[in-house]
Amino acid sequence: MESSVFSFTPSPSDHPVENALRVAVQPNMSCRGWPADAGSKALENYTALEDAFVIAQLKQANAVIAGTTCMSELGFGLVNDTGARAVTEDLADAALITDYIGESRAAAAKAGIFGFKPSWGRMSRRGLAGLVPSMETWGITARRVSEIRQIMQMVCVFDDQDFSMRPEPLPDFDLSRSFQNQAPVIGVAQGYEQRLNPNEARAWNTALSALKTAGCEIRPVHLPDPGLFSLAHHIIAAVEASSSAGKYDGVRYGHRTDACADWNQMYLKTRGESFGTLIKTFLFQGAYFQFQQYEAFEQACRARGKLMDQTLTALADLDGIAGLTLGEHSDPPAAQTIEDIYEGFGFTLPANLTGLPAVHIPGLARHGRKDFGVHIMGKLFKDPDLLALARFLETVTSKAGAA
Amino acid sequence: MNFDQRVSCGSLNTDHIGRHVLLAGWVDALRDHGDILFIHLRDRTGIVQVVFAPGNAPSQVYETAAALRNEHCIRVTGTVIQREPGTENPHLDTGKIEVAADGLDILSSADPLPFPISEKSMLAGTGEAGAADGVNEELRLQYRFLDLRRPSMQEKLFKRHRIMTCIRHFLEDHGFYEVETPMLTRSTPEGARDYLVPSRHYPGDFYALPQSPQLFKQLLMVAGFERYYQIVRCFRDEDLRPNRQPEFTQLDLEAAFIDEEFIYALFEELVPEMFAVGGISVSTPFPRMTWHQAMETTGTDRPDLRFGMTFVDATDLFTNTGYAIFKQIVDRGGCIKGINVKGQSDQLSKNVLQNEYAKQIVPEFGARGMTWMRVTGAKLDSNIVQFFSGHEQQQLMERFNAEDGDVLMIIADTSWHTVCSALGQLRLHVAGRLNLIPEHVYKPVWVTDFPLFETGADGLTSCHHPFTMPSATEFDPEKEEECLALTSRSYDLVMNGEELGGGSIRINDRTLQDKIFKALGLSGKEIEDKFGFFLKGLSFGTPPHGGIALGMDRVISMILGTASIREVIAFPKNRRAFCPLTGAPAGVADTQLAELGLGTGGPDQSLPGAAPEADLMETLSWVSRIQVSENEQAEVRQALNQAQAMARDINTHARDLDGRDPVYTVFPATNQTREGTRARRHILAENRDLFKNAPAVTGDFFKVAGILE
Repeated sequence: MESSVFSFTPSPSDHPVENALRVAVQPNMSCRGWPADAGSKALENYTALEDAFVIAQLKQANAVIAGTTCMSELGFGLVNDTGARAVTEDLADAALITDYIGESRAAAAKAGIFGFKPSWGRMSRRGLAGLVPSMETWGITARRVSEIRQIMQMVCVFDDQDFSMRPEPLPDFDLSRSFQNQAPVIGVAQGYEQRLNPNEARAWNTALSALKTAGCEIRPVHLPDPGLFSLAHHIIAAVEASSSAGKYDGVRYGHRTDACADWNQMYLKTRGESFGTLIKTFLFQGAYFQFQQYEAFEQACRARGKLMDQTLTALADLDGIAGLTLGEHSDPPAAQTIEDIYEGFGFTLPANLTGLPAVHIPGLARHGRKDFGVHIMGKLFKDPDLLALARFLETVTSKAGAA
Repeated sequence: MNFDQRVSCGSLNTDHIGRHVLLAGWVDALRDHGDILFIHLRDRTGIVQVVFAPGNAPSQVYETAAALRNEHCIRVTGTVIQREPGTENPHLDTGKIEVAADGLDILSSADPLPFPISEKSMLAGTGEAGAADGVNEELRLQYRFLDLRRPSMQEKLFKRHRIMTCIRHFLEDHGFYEVETPMLTRSTPEGARDYLVPSRHYPGDFYALPQSPQLFKQLLMVAGFERYYQIVRCFRDEDLRPNRQPEFTQLDLEAAFIDEEFIYALFEELVPEMFAVGGISVSTPFPRMTWHQAMETTGTDRPDLRFGMTFVDATDLFTNTGYAIFKQIVDRGGCIKGINVKGQSDQLSKNVLQNEYAKQIVPEFGARGMTWMRVTGAKLDSNIVQFFSGHEQQQLMERFNAEDGDVLMIIADTSWHTVCSALGQLRLHVAGRLNLIPEHVYKPVWVTDFPLFETGADGLTSCHHPFTMPSATEFDPEKEEECLALTSRSYDLVMNGEELGGGSIRINDRTLQDKIFKALGLSGKEIEDKFGFFLKGLSFGTPPHGGIALGMDRVISMILGTASIREVIAFPKNRRAFCPLTGAPAGVADTQLAELGLGTGGPDQSLPGAAPEADLMETLSWVSRIQVSENEQAEVRQALNQAQAMARDINTHARDLDGRDPVYTVFPATNQTREGTRARRHILAENRDLFKNAPAVTGDFFKVAGILE
């Protein structure tokens, strides 16, 4: 089984440390000397020249990089992704999954484990070959919250070579912190239930009673139209992808087409051959907004500002905003078109658009055989608080499981 | 309710003390002193203080007064009394008196305000209350009805009315008739895009809103009205500019049996009267410059004559120079011109002249470079002065009338246009930077004798419009050189470097008009299609005539000294040609479109008569350099259809989002300065690791296919 989970594993001598935390990574996360093709022909045969900042922090903290999992092309969506399987098959204690639209949380939800996306700007992205600079983060999946907290403690170090980082005091992910003696206040969008289909609504009610039993106060809050989140995310992400994929030109690295008469032909063919159909359609959409409908891109950015304002206002008196992680018919690993991806990740993408930290908690929103997952967004840069809340709810689920 | 006895707030003064009055207006401001309530009551004439004290009025009046809020519309009765010494308000014209109220009706209450309207402080010594000028303009435009309540805005529109009235009286006195021309018409040849109005009765056909009433006013001359004017709305669908409106107001005027002198005399009388409304005196007669003189001395057809620094030509001084650059330019028929920035050498250091002006600013103006010289100790000082002979230096000093402390800035180029245009921009830049433009000075000038034709991409085009009378009628329309040498009997009225308006004497002879069309290369069919109706008119005894049009929004904005023309328009569009008040332009019902024979599928559906657009996928494939294979085409096209639908979708939110700034990152990205870094070769380049992943390398370079085709 191992071979189908990992696309690359180091020779055994590479990890001499006993009982070290084992972390699986994706092939767009640079580990010096390891292949790193980001699941794309655009980076065919690429070998990482340096460790990504986060990887270097992990190594320094004596974590072991267990191997490279398989990933979708450039990490957008979850087709072919094996990250979460590395955890469920116990090949790693945690798996890092690039999160543009909810990939880490959705992968965790499918696998029945925890998934966490930190605040944008919390982890350095140097050495992460990404596609959507204003939204992307490393995501962490693990069987328990404690592994996520351990990794956050190791990697949240200021890096002056990532423009999104601010020299803030380092957060404390104290493993013992919990909400045990308080009542967490959880916001739920007004009219949320009306947007769910019957099975989703039943799962959601199960989740609500579990949260209430655990002592959470549920408070209705006014949140903006979910459709606008998706529309704004889609337009902005497509434009950023089209722009940041410009570097894949077959000159410095990656696939190069056979000999061409001139360099325009070289670019056209090289890039035509480098991208798979799914990413290509996304890049064309981005190019359309960039070159033909720039006003639509600017409107999407205006919408983003408005959605951020409204979400932050709603969050002001809350510990988090909760909803389901997956819809009944969303099957992220099976999403083969851009439209399907946006359909499948509709519940997780607001956190990427707003940059807020978000966690998927398994086991609380079951209906029938399916666990829809509880998804909670926390306050910007309050990642430790959100993980403390996740830990608190983890104890609830394990009790529920025991009962 | 009877308002017959109403007196206006602003009219009250100490003469009225003791009088019982009825007032009505809006609550401008309130001050509650516990047992006494003061309000400022405002109507369009001004503000007066009203006092509600328990002793003065029945108790229910006092109770009603407690419910007053800003901008409630009210009716008050009371007695005018003198204010206690020391409580007069110098900010109010009525500040010596107040009205002790004995009756009050709230005519209509007001919701909480989106921004303050009051501009007058209630207390002496506290200065003017905060005006709404600092409020976001989008918000002001959205609540324009409240914005216009502000006395300062009322004043602007009142002055606009006064200026318009002044024009009407003046032109009435000079025998002009006001005649209206149609708004729904055919496209006229003004050069900008038309706003089109679809016709329901002729599906697929369109009216155009007028860009100006040009042809109609000329036909009114054919019709024998002799003197016509109209204050008329015109429409141009041009690219967005901050100080431009899609619709604007022109003073449009035409007269028969006149020449240029009639227009000059008329406007040298009218313009000072208009400016007098703003307390500005404009002296007459207005100076005149031909277009060529204006270009020669200021490099622009809109010369700003509030300051000097006009051009000095020095081409002839360098016919035999040893300075190779000048020599080459002179030999190739170019020219050398400069300006003398008098006494400013302390402000213009060598560093500023060389590194800012010569290297950055002047190249942006389109010239290749600039030569500068500072005058010290009766000598020229510069980085190139050693290339000039002593005689040349001496002649330069004399030609530019150069004295110690002066700075000469000289531009040389083989193209006369480049020299004039770049030096003209430089003249304005230097004047602005050194504060050499005096304020509150108004310098008009007539710019005349524009070229008749200019060369465009497809041969000759008219500089003005094709009905402008040339200065000479004997020319061969087939000979381009001959045509380009012609000037026209046209004139622009320029004030402080801004064009206020322009016009010309028109052609009244059909044969001459045909010659002009021939020079423009228009075919008989094109002429008939575009101007057939007009040319027919021209063939029935057209009198000699000419006219002018002034852009009134711009004129009024200049007279009132406002920051933008939107300040002098009651309901303007914003900078993006959008109306935040009404939400125009907006979508319409599909049924409306269907009635008009227009598609209902949005902009990507081709309209009747529209040319097919270039294939979107092909275009994007090229600009983003990504080839699409046969078997991917269907998916890419489907994704693009989705993207088009999304663009329409996001635009339906435009109204909610208007006025917001786009947000590109969760929080502003910061530039970080790293400690201790200095220029060095990156280690990965040094050890050649960077090349390890490259598909093709040759020596120290990445290898690519041929760049030249």
